[in-house]
Amino acid sequence: MAGDVASAGINEAGGPPEWLSLALDAPPLDVRSLLAQGVDPFATVMEAASGIEFGGSLVIDAPFNPSPLRRILAGRGFSSYGRKLGEGHWRVFFHLDGGADWESGADVEVSPEGAMSWREEDGLHIDVRKLAPPNPMLAILRLIESAGPGETVVVHHEREPHFLAPELAERGWRIARVSSEVVNVRLWLERVI
Amino acid sequence: MFPGSFMMGAKDRLLPPSIPYRFFVAAVFFHLLAWVLLLVGNEGVLGFVGGQGMTLAALHLITLGTLAMTAMGAAIQLLPVATRRPLGPVWAIKLMFILYAPGVALFAAGLAHSFAWAQHAGATLCVVGLALFGGLVGANLRRVDDLPGVTRHAWLAVASLIGLAILGLVLVIDFTKGFLPDHTSVAAAHAVLAGYGFMGMLSAGFSFVLIPMFVLGSAVPDAVGKRTAQLSGLGLVLGAGGVLVGIGTLSALGALLGLAATIVYLRGMLASLKTRMKKRLEPFFRMVWVAWALLPVSLVAALLPALGAPLDPWAELWVFLLVFGWLLSFVTAILQRIMPFLASMHSSALGGKPALLSHLSPKLPVDIHLGCHTAALVLISVALVGGWVWPLRLGLIAGLAGAIAFGVYTVEVLRRYRSHMAAAVAAHQQG
Repeated sequence: MAGDVASAGINEAGGPPEWLSLALDAPPLDVRSLLAQGVDPFATVMEAASGIEFGGSLVIDAPFNPSPLRRILAGRGFSSYGRKLGEGHWRVFFHLDGGADWESGADVEVSPEGAMSWREEDGLHIDVRKLAPPNPMLAILRLIESAGPGETVVVHHEREPHFLAPELAERGWRIARVSSEVVNVRLWLERVI
Repeated sequence: MFPGSFMMGAKDRLLPPSIPYRFFVAAVFFHLLAWVLLLVGNEGVLGFVGGQGMTLAALHLITLGTLAMTAMGAAIQLLPVATRRPLGPVWAIKLMFILYAPGVALFAAGLAHSFAWAQHAGATLCVVGLALFGGLVGANLRRVDDLPGVTRHAWLAVASLIGLAILGLVLVIDFTKGFLPDHTSVAAAHAVLAGYGFMGMLSAGFSFVLIPMFVLGSAVPDAVGKRTAQLSGLGLVLGAGGVLVGIGTLSALGALLGLAATIVYLRGMLASLKTRMKKRLEPFFRMVWVAWALLPVSLVAALLPALGAPLDPWAELWVFLLVFGWLLSFVTAILQRIMPFLASMHSSALGGKPALLSHLSPKLPVDIHLGCHTAALVLISVALVGGWVWPLRLGLIAGLAGAIAFGVYTVEVLRRYRSHMAAAVAAHQQG
C-alpha cells in the first residue's frame, strides 16, 4: 500500500504528514462500489469512523476527493490527507488526533465560505458540497474572479445549481458541461467567447 | 457520502417557465385592477373599517390577487430547488391556478357589488386553491431538516393559512347571515393571520434564501431563522388570539413580539448585506428598503388600535401600512428581481448564451414604479390620518401610475425573454 501511494501522483503538495506512516497499514474501506450502485455510503463511513480510537487511522477509497466528508470528520477530530491514485480513484487517510491540522501539507485552499479548491490538469477545481445556500454560489463566483485567462473551473456540487447560471452570464461565464454522478454533480465553467 | 445526499443528485426541478409566469402575470394584473377599484371607489376609502364595497374588493385583489399569487408563483419554482425535493405534480400546480385565479376575480367582484353568490363561489375557489398550495408546500417541507430558517417560517405560514381561510369563510357567510357578534374583531384576526402570518412568514422565510442570493451575501445563520420563527409564532398566537377574544393588551403583546422578531430578522438580513460581494445594490433593493422600513412601522401602528385608539383612522392606517407598505413593497421588489432571474435561468435551455439579467430588466419602468409607489404610501397615509380627500386622490393616482409602470416592466421583461428565445431557436435550427 505504501508503494501505491508513493508511486501515485501527489495531489496534496508539501509532503505527507508525519502521522501518515501510522495510517498506511490500515486496510482501505472502498466505497466506490457502493456509489456505483447508487448507495450513499455515508452511514458506512461514519460507522467505521466511530470505531476508531484516538491515535487510530481510517482509510477510504473513493471515486473523487470527498472534501465534505473530510470537513465533517475534521469536526470529529480526524486529520486527513488525500491523494489521487488514478482516474476516478482517490485514497484519503484519516488520523484521529484532534483534527487540528487537517489541511496542513495540502495544496488545497479553503475559501471564506468553507469551499475547498485545488488545481488539477483539467483546471481549477472547487468543492462546494454541503455548504449552506448561497455560499456555494459565492465561493464559485469568488473563484472565477481569480481564475486565469482561458482557465476552466470544475465545480463539485451535490445538485445542478440553477440559480448560478444568471450570475455566471453576468460575468461572461457559462456552464459548458455537466456530469451527474451520485453525490457529485460536476460542472465545467468556461468564459463565453 | 453525506446525510441525505443521495437525493441531492436528483434531476432538474425547473418547471416550464409558463407555469410560474402565469402566476406573476396574474399578480401584476390584479395589482393594476386593485388601484383602479380604489380610485373608482375612492369615496369609501376614508373611514373604512370593514364592510362590502370597492375598498374591501381592492384590498383582496392586493392580498389574494397580488401577494398570495406571487407567493404561489415564487414558491412553486423556488421551494423545490431550495429544498431539493419535488413540490408535486405539474397538473396539481396548474389546477391550483385554474381554481385560484378566477376565484380571486369572482370574489373581488362579489365584494365590490355585494353579490353573495359571487362571494361564496369566489371564496370557495380561493380556499380550495390555497388549500392545494398549502398541501403541496406541506408535503414538500415534511422531510426537509436542513433549512430551518425557511421551513419553520413556511410551517407558520401554512398554519396561518388554515386559520385565515376558516376565519375568511366565516366572515363571508356572516355578510349574508349576520351571526357573528363582532364581525370587526374576526376581520382583524383574519388580517393578522393573513398579513403577518401567511404572507409575512412566507416573505421572511424566503428572505433567508433570496436576499443573500440576490446580493451575494453570506448565508443567514440558522439560529436567526429559528429565533424569528419562535418570536413570530408566539406573536401571531397572542396577536390574533387577543383580537378574537377582545383583550387588547394581549394583541399589543403580540405586536411587541412581532417587533422583536422583526429586529432579529432585520439584523440577520443586514449582517448578510454587510458581507455581500455585490457592492452596488440592484434597483429592486430600493423597494426592499421601503418594505423593511415599514414592517416595524406597521407593527407600531398595530399597537394603537390594540391599546384602544379609535379604529378610524388607526386600524385603517395599520392595515394600509401592513398590506401596501410592508407586503406590497416587498413582493413587488422580489417580483421585479425574480421575473428576469427566472427568464435568465430558462434562457439557455437550448444550449445557447443565457440572456443577461441586466438586458432583461428595463430600468425606467421600475424607477417610475418606485417613485409612484412611495408617493402613494406617503400621500395615502397622510390622508388617512388627517381625513383629507385630495391627498388621498393624488395618492391613488400615484398608486395607479406605479401599477401601470410595473405592468409595462412585466410586459417588457417577457417580450425581451421571448425575443431572446426566438433568436436562440433560430440559431439552434441553423445548427
